Amino acid sequence: MIRKSVCLMLAKHSFFSAVSNRPVQLLMGLIFLLLLYANISSYTQYRQQITTRNYYRELVRNHWEEMPDKHPHRMAHYGYIAFRSIDPLSLFDRGIDTYAGNAIFLEAHKQNTVNFSEAGLSTGLLRFGEITQSMVLQLLVPLLLFFIGFGAIAADRENGTLKMLFSQGTSWKELLLGKCLGLWLLAMVFLLVGMFLLVGTSLSIPELEMNTDWWIRGIGLLLLYSVYFWIIAAITTWVSAISKSAKLSLVSLIGIWLLMGIILPRAIQSGASWVFPAPSKIHFDSMVEQELIKKGDSHDPNDPYYKALKDSVLRAHNVSSIEELPFNYSGFQMKEGERISTELYNQQMAVLLDIYKKQNNLSRVAGWVNPFMPIRLCSMSFSGTDFSSYVRFQTEAENYRYRLAQQMNDWQIQYISNKKPAPGEKGPAISRDFWKAFPAFAYPSTNWKQGLQEAGYPLLMLLAWFLFSVWLLIFRSQKLNAL
Amino acid sequence: MWKLCIKNFVRTSVAQVGISAVLIAGIISLLIGRQHLVKQQEAVKQTTIAQNEHIKRNKEFFSSELGLLFYYLKFSLVNELDPINGLSIGQRDVNPSIQSVTIRNLENQRYDTDLYNPAVLHAGNLDLSFVLLYLFPLLIIASCYTVLSADKEAGTWNMTRVQARKPAALIWKSLVIRMGFVFSVFFLLIGLAFVLLPLSINYRFLLFVGTGMAYLLFWFGLCAFIISLNKNSSTNAILLLGCWILLAIILPAGVNNYLTNRYPVPEALSTMVEQREAYHEKWDMEKTPTLKAFYKVYPDYEKYGYPQESFSWLWYYAMQHMGDEESKVHTESFMSKLAKREAVARSISFFIPTLHTQHQFNTLAKAGLENHLLFLKETANFHESVRKKVYPLIFENKQVDEVDWQALAVRKVEQNNQPDWLHVFLPFLVFILMLFGVSLKRMHSMA
Repeated sequence: MIRKSVCLMLAKHSFFSAVSNRPVQLLMGLIFLLLLYANISSYTQYRQQITTRNYYRELVRNHWEEMPDKHPHRMAHYGYIAFRSIDPLSLFDRGIDTYAGNAIFLEAHKQNTVNFSEAGLSTGLLRFGEITQSMVLQLLVPLLLFFIGFGAIAADRENGTLKMLFSQGTSWKELLLGKCLGLWLLAMVFLLVGMFLLVGTSLSIPELEMNTDWWIRGIGLLLLYSVYFWIIAAITTWVSAISKSAKLSLVSLIGIWLLMGIILPRAIQSGASWVFPAPSKIHFDSMVEQELIKKGDSHDPNDPYYKALKDSVLRAHNVSSIEELPFNYSGFQMKEGERISTELYNQQMAVLLDIYKKQNNLSRVAGWVNPFMPIRLCSMSFSGTDFSSYVRFQTEAENYRYRLAQQMNDWQIQYISNKKPAPGEKGPAISRDFWKAFPAFAYPSTNWKQGLQEAGYPLLMLLAWFLFSVWLLIFRSQKLNAL
Repeated sequence: MWKLCIKNFVRTSVAQVGISAVLIAGIISLLIGRQHLVKQQEAVKQTTIAQNEHIKRNKEFFSSELGLLFYYLKFSLVNELDPINGLSIGQRDVNPSIQSVTIRNLENQRYDTDLYNPAVLHAGNLDLSFVLLYLFPLLIIASCYTVLSADKEAGTWNMTRVQARKPAALIWKSLVIRMGFVFSVFFLLIGLAFVLLPLSINYRFLLFVGTGMAYLLFWFGLCAFIISLNKNSSTNAILLLGCWILLAIILPAGVNNYLTNRYPVPEALSTMVEQREAYHEKWDMEKTPTLKAFYKVYPDYEKYGYPQESFSWLWYYAMQHMGDEESKVHTESFMSKLAKREAVARSISFFIPTLHTQHQFNTLAKAGLENHLLFLKETANFHESVRKKVYPLIFENKQVDEVDWQALAVRKVEQNNQPDWLHVFLPFLVFILMLFGVSLKRMHSMA
């Protein structure tokens, strides 16, 4: 039997006694300031990046469309530059955005790297982390809760008020739930202030569109963090209840924070890349090259694969030389070459991504023992700044590159003559009208369904932690000692 | 007395758990550092093999036309690795240590990154620099926050104070014992590093060890200062932890946000766009102006004249080079922006010991932004030297066997600018002297 009124009274009491405490007010003020700073700095960075990126995206497109009549293969080498789009919710959680490349040059025959990540251009300082709203909410607010709540029950036990409370008919369940609720309410103040700041910041950015999807994901984040803060509040209350003294409770909670919040996430991810080592670029490139040579080298005029291809094409058309073919043979050969090299590249890429996923999985699984982990992953997925959203960009860019190269090859096959131009004659070309017909690079931003899907597993862990915390407070409380 | 104090400290759970935790983390960090070094060294080894094979294979196909052969050939430059990099990985996980470039335009190649998992970078490396920067201070805090206050809370301090001739000396004795243990752990890890990594004792390495020691001393100074405030254990713990959070998390992150906002680098994208335009537009222009512009940069080649046939390698490489020349403004502004970031970070770091330590570690490990910028510059020099060796051969239609392949082998850049030790230690010295001085005075007046 849990009396609601008693719980609420206890919650109210612990909430107000905390906020009327001078040092707590000071710390709360500091966290509000950090939330504000996080928003201001996200605002500045987002605007800088979005305006630069939009500007160059448009410039690249205009240049593309303004290209004069050309040989399609020239155009395939002119290529395209794709820019990674920035999710509006990266204002809240920058996730891996800072570490991911921002622009990639797409051309025929060659898969380039995504370059110019903020991390690559940074001084080593970045490795200390960044101040973002998600960082303040994930790390600093829990620490404050620990500081406020370590004595929630342990101090009452030390000064004897606990016995008094029980003698007045309060039960352990009511006490734990009430205290936990009080702490949770305090954390919710930060969350709500943070969310208001986020909405305000987003409203003040004209380039940012707050559509339904934004609101759904935003509210999703609000709910996720509410659950997270409940878990943190419950851990605080529980540790305070089982500790012999307030001091011991403080030391345990700080230990938990350091271990789970700071050390383990880094140690596990770092350890994961040790357990599942990934190849370096030079290694990766030479693996792709080896595979390619095995299959056939289009550069080699005597390569058996391409020789056989040529012979079969000539035979099928019943002609004896390339010049007699009704289409452009070199375009045809490049199309085949592009197909094969892309296929092999994608195979190696899949292997590489698989290694990365294995590395990431290890820290994901750690969420079962680390209550700080699930929210990190959920938050990134909902903000569209997780690993999968980066891979999505990479994949979309590579697909676009392939389409571009093959479109140019098709046009070459169709419209370019097999005969080499005589000296002094202008080289073959196709009309510039074709360029406009090839669409610009664009890909849809993360929507809430993808966010939810990606967050699925960590979400499950978050819920498990929630249920566990409720169970702890309600069903394990009989075992506690009032003295 | 010493013996008793040592025994007292060793018996605490903080000493046992804390020291073993830091030791384990330290050993793991060394293994991770070793793996990083091995991976990089393997890559360097592979580079030489791959380059030779690559040249051999392409020579078979394109030996009749040097212009075409060199269109494909890649030449590698290695940014020499210092074994200290195994102790502080720094930016070497995101920035490549090897650049492979063709003689085509440079700006399209030199910013290529290595392959990496962004989630790993996001979590950060567990290298020795992390253990030193984050974990050692925690060990120091955990072992020092009860010095004096615990005795007071247990009621034994008054008794001790009366019996001791110099009560303040007792506090210092406790601190010195803790220093002894922490420094032993530190040197044990450095010793292990010697076993696990190919380190050698030189100026840079000594500076690394010195920086680490100075950083640890700084934290002891801070602890001494907090102890001298004469508060209870919980307050000490909260104050020290507050300092740690401020110094290791909030301030560095705040400074980083500031730097990113204050010095944005849109030039990265403008360089990328400009060089591509500048090169490709030449295909649709008269050949003479392009060649003229090319000869303006390299007057020696003017003797090759102005060929007007529809395609010549001379014209082709002139076009390629013009991509670099015409985007130069953007490149220079890009580089100077990054140099500015580095310079400002350095000046700010003088006032924040954690930042200063990290910065020094990265510099000594040749893994900071400064090193990367130098490597980018060296890549440009390397690219030019290869081009100058190859251009005349191509333009004069030489044969493959006339190429001096030895001269085009993989090259290494060594950056051996020695950091000034005064710059490294001065900020520490100021902090350490101040903290210990103030606490010494306070403790003596207090006792």
